[in-house]
Amino acid sequence: MSLKDIIDYVKDEGATYCDIRKERWDTTNLTLKDGEMEKITSGSEEGAMVRVLYDDGWGNVGTSDLSELKKAADRAINMAKKSNEYKEEKTGMAKVETHEKAINMPMEEDFLDISTEEKVSFLKDLEKHLDKKFVRSTELRYIDRLVNKEIATSDGTHVKMKIPRIVTYLIITGKSDTIQRASEGIGGTGGYELTERAYEKKDVVLERLETLLEADTPPSGKMSLIMDPHLTGVFSHEAFGHAAESDLVSTGNSCLEGKIGEKVASDIVTIRDDPTMDGYGSFPFDDEGTKSRNRTLVKDGTLNDFILDRENAWKLDMEPNGGARAEDFRVKPLVRMSNTIMEPGDMEFDELVEEVDKGVYAKSSGGGQVNTGEGTFQFNAQEAYLIEDGEIVKPLRDVSFNGFTLQTLQNITGITKELDTGIGHCGKGQTAAVTDGGANVLISEVTVGGRE
Amino acid sequence: MNGKLVESVKEALELLDKKKLEGDVFGIKERNISYSIEKGELAESSEYEDLGLGIRIIKEGKVGFGYCTPGKEEKGVRRAEELSTISQELDLELPEEKDTPDPDIYDKDIEERSSEGEGAEFTQQVINGAKELKEDIIPTRGSLSIGIGYKVLGNTNDLFLKQKSTAVSTGVLATIPGDETSINASESRFSRKMDLDFTDIGKTAAEKVDSLREASELPKGEIPVVMNPDAFGMLMWFGIIPAINGENIRKGKSVYEGRKGEKVASKELLMKDDPTMDWGVGSGPFDDEGVPSREIPIIEDGTLKHFIYDLKEAVKSDTESTGNGLRGGFKNPPEISDRNIVLRGEGENKKNLLPDKGILVDGVMGAHTLNPASGDFSVVGTPAWLVEDGEIKGKVEGAMISGNLPETLESIELADDYKKSYASIGSREIKMDLPSARFNDVTVSGK
Repeated sequence: MSLKDIIDYVKDEGATYCDIRKERWDTTNLTLKDGEMEKITSGSEEGAMVRVLYDDGWGNVGTSDLSELKKAADRAINMAKKSNEYKEEKTGMAKVETHEKAINMPMEEDFLDISTEEKVSFLKDLEKHLDKKFVRSTELRYIDRLVNKEIATSDGTHVKMKIPRIVTYLIITGKSDTIQRASEGIGGTGGYELTERAYEKKDVVLERLETLLEADTPPSGKMSLIMDPHLTGVFSHEAFGHAAESDLVSTGNSCLEGKIGEKVASDIVTIRDDPTMDGYGSFPFDDEGTKSRNRTLVKDGTLNDFILDRENAWKLDMEPNGGARAEDFRVKPLVRMSNTIMEPGDMEFDELVEEVDKGVYAKSSGGGQVNTGEGTFQFNAQEAYLIEDGEIVKPLRDVSFNGFTLQTLQNITGITKELDTGIGHCGKGQTAAVTDGGANVLISEVTVGGRE
Repeated sequence: MNGKLVESVKEALELLDKKKLEGDVFGIKERNISYSIEKGELAESSEYEDLGLGIRIIKEGKVGFGYCTPGKEEKGVRRAEELSTISQELDLELPEEKDTPDPDIYDKDIEERSSEGEGAEFTQQVINGAKELKEDIIPTRGSLSIGIGYKVLGNTNDLFLKQKSTAVSTGVLATIPGDETSINASESRFSRKMDLDFTDIGKTAAEKVDSLREASELPKGEIPVVMNPDAFGMLMWFGIIPAINGENIRKGKSVYEGRKGEKVASKELLMKDDPTMDWGVGSGPFDDEGVPSREIPIIEDGTLKHFIYDLKEAVKSDTESTGNGLRGGFKNPPEISDRNIVLRGEGENKKNLLPDKGILVDGVMGAHTLNPASGDFSVVGTPAWLVEDGEIKGKVEGAMISGNLPETLESIELADDYKKSYASIGSREIKMDLPSARFNDVTVSGK
């Protein structure tokens, strides 16, 4: 049976809505550790998820057995009916434009045409550039993934897409009085041509490790903070972006609930999430078949939009904007970010530093986390410097910050001109490829955690 | 046992045999049924069934790895064979079948009740438990998940092993809505048998959030911090588990390098990896390479005893596998992984660990930002409460806790409120059995 036949069958069984997402993944995963090929794996997998809404109850069934799709549909119908028995609150799917289209996201150089030997050679060559006295251990990873998706909905959308993603990780370790580690992930949505970007970042990682090996532990307490572009991106993603995810808004777990049109940040802040730009988190249609588009979440300090899938758009009476993403065919889509950017401003970096009496200049992310309901965040910088009386004084290590999202967004007092981005994987029960970016940003007050 | 999976593993082994290749084939089948909670209601039911094979080939001493779905065994074997040509030479010897322990990890009751759709009823019990305490407390998000897993492992040394396990887990976030921001707290539990009190899980989350209504001032400085089991487990996993990994030891990337036999923790601390425990979160008869499970003492009486190894690292470090080769699904080759970490101490009543002045922490934000090489951490404790004169007071916000985890273990005190703690982090899992702990060597800062 074709996807359309199964959808027709589910509709005949009385379903309110149904969609099927069929996927095939081809992946190569290589790890070069200290000169040795530690991991060389390659494989394919395929499967599909059938989602059924029956009145107000959902049933979702994922299977890796494509010959049993009708059976999966039957299970999904039964589960949806069962859920409906427990459900009191109404639900629905906001209307979207339907599409029948096939889109292949471009690869200048198709990574499926490149031999594994060549990919191994690339890692080995890259490793040569990391041969420095202070580097004690190296780990280089290369992953390419091509996903072929086919999505059909009971509203008439039927889209097919190919999304190629590629990433290289550089992780280096050194030792002084403590062991320190510097890392960078480089890649995006595209083909083998993106491996070239890894060469551009190697010096950044080397300089970072060398600095960390001489760094002191940070002070603790309230102070000013200058974030570099990647950290600004991670801050925009963690502290703000998650709270703008409509599933958290509609279930009462976001500090942004009911604040559309209200001031949530200082006037110089504009944050957008854009799956159509060049980034690691790009896609042409989301996992409900909704066409992707830019979402301006904050415009000049005012909350403008949320990231919306169809169900939460229905609940919040807003327009869906392609916010549904699933890790793979085993799981249902959740509301997720894509490429999150804080727009650059008009200041120079020196001007930001001059404004700081006591603070920290922090670079590149070491990860972060957020409580969207309480509006609090925590994140880590890989590299940092102490600023005193408008001057950068000395390097710091293991610098961590926390604060209250809404308060901190109001405390942004300066943004520089140049935009840069970094890539990452966001976890929300499922993993999603994302890009985060921005410019250098001055926050007048956050809490820095340190051991002194 | 599932026929299709066994057949597929045998089919792949026969292909290896025909090609006169050495190797192992690891097949898994998982069925997972889950129910989600949204805004005080059961929102949806989901299910997935997953089936796949991981094929590892050793050809002229070189190892290659491929994976596929059943029916595509030939392609999987071919791919693994191709990749073996470009890998490093390694004298890897696959194990022969030996007697394995037989810990209880399968509960028939879970499998039967899951197919009858009773999970929806259990989810409703979680919801009711959370709603019953006070009118304004809502279980806003949560899930309940029931899983049945099969593993089949065969190799060209005539080893052929099977395992069947069950698990039920649930987590719920209880919320008190507010005008500006809400207050929330969560509770989660995991078991391999049908012994969870679902109503109590909801009630516990509600009680936690109810205790966060009144705020206290955050005490700062070098003060004791008591961590509940899940928070403590999260830090241990990110901070100590990498340090006992045999590969990190060999490469000098662990703070425990060259310290075997030294005192590294307070004298009553016992940390072992014990996959032979009945109903252990990560228990099982063998690891994902076919090495029989056994109890590995890691820290005993505060002294560092053993590190953990899989087959590959055992060759490189010239030692034996400790049965710590796990794959995290069929798509990954084995790598060194903790199995079922058990922490025990003198077992003080938790009340006796509460300090004169300090804080109590139920969860930590940012544990994954811990520096795995040094063990330095700086995390936010949330939710957290002020503790004064051994009594739990109001909530404290923005409590940033900084320290070095290996150093912290040297003066740690453990309670007796043991909990099976589970969380998944990408393709890896936190599987621990541990109590609350008092950290005496950390700095608390904040607003």
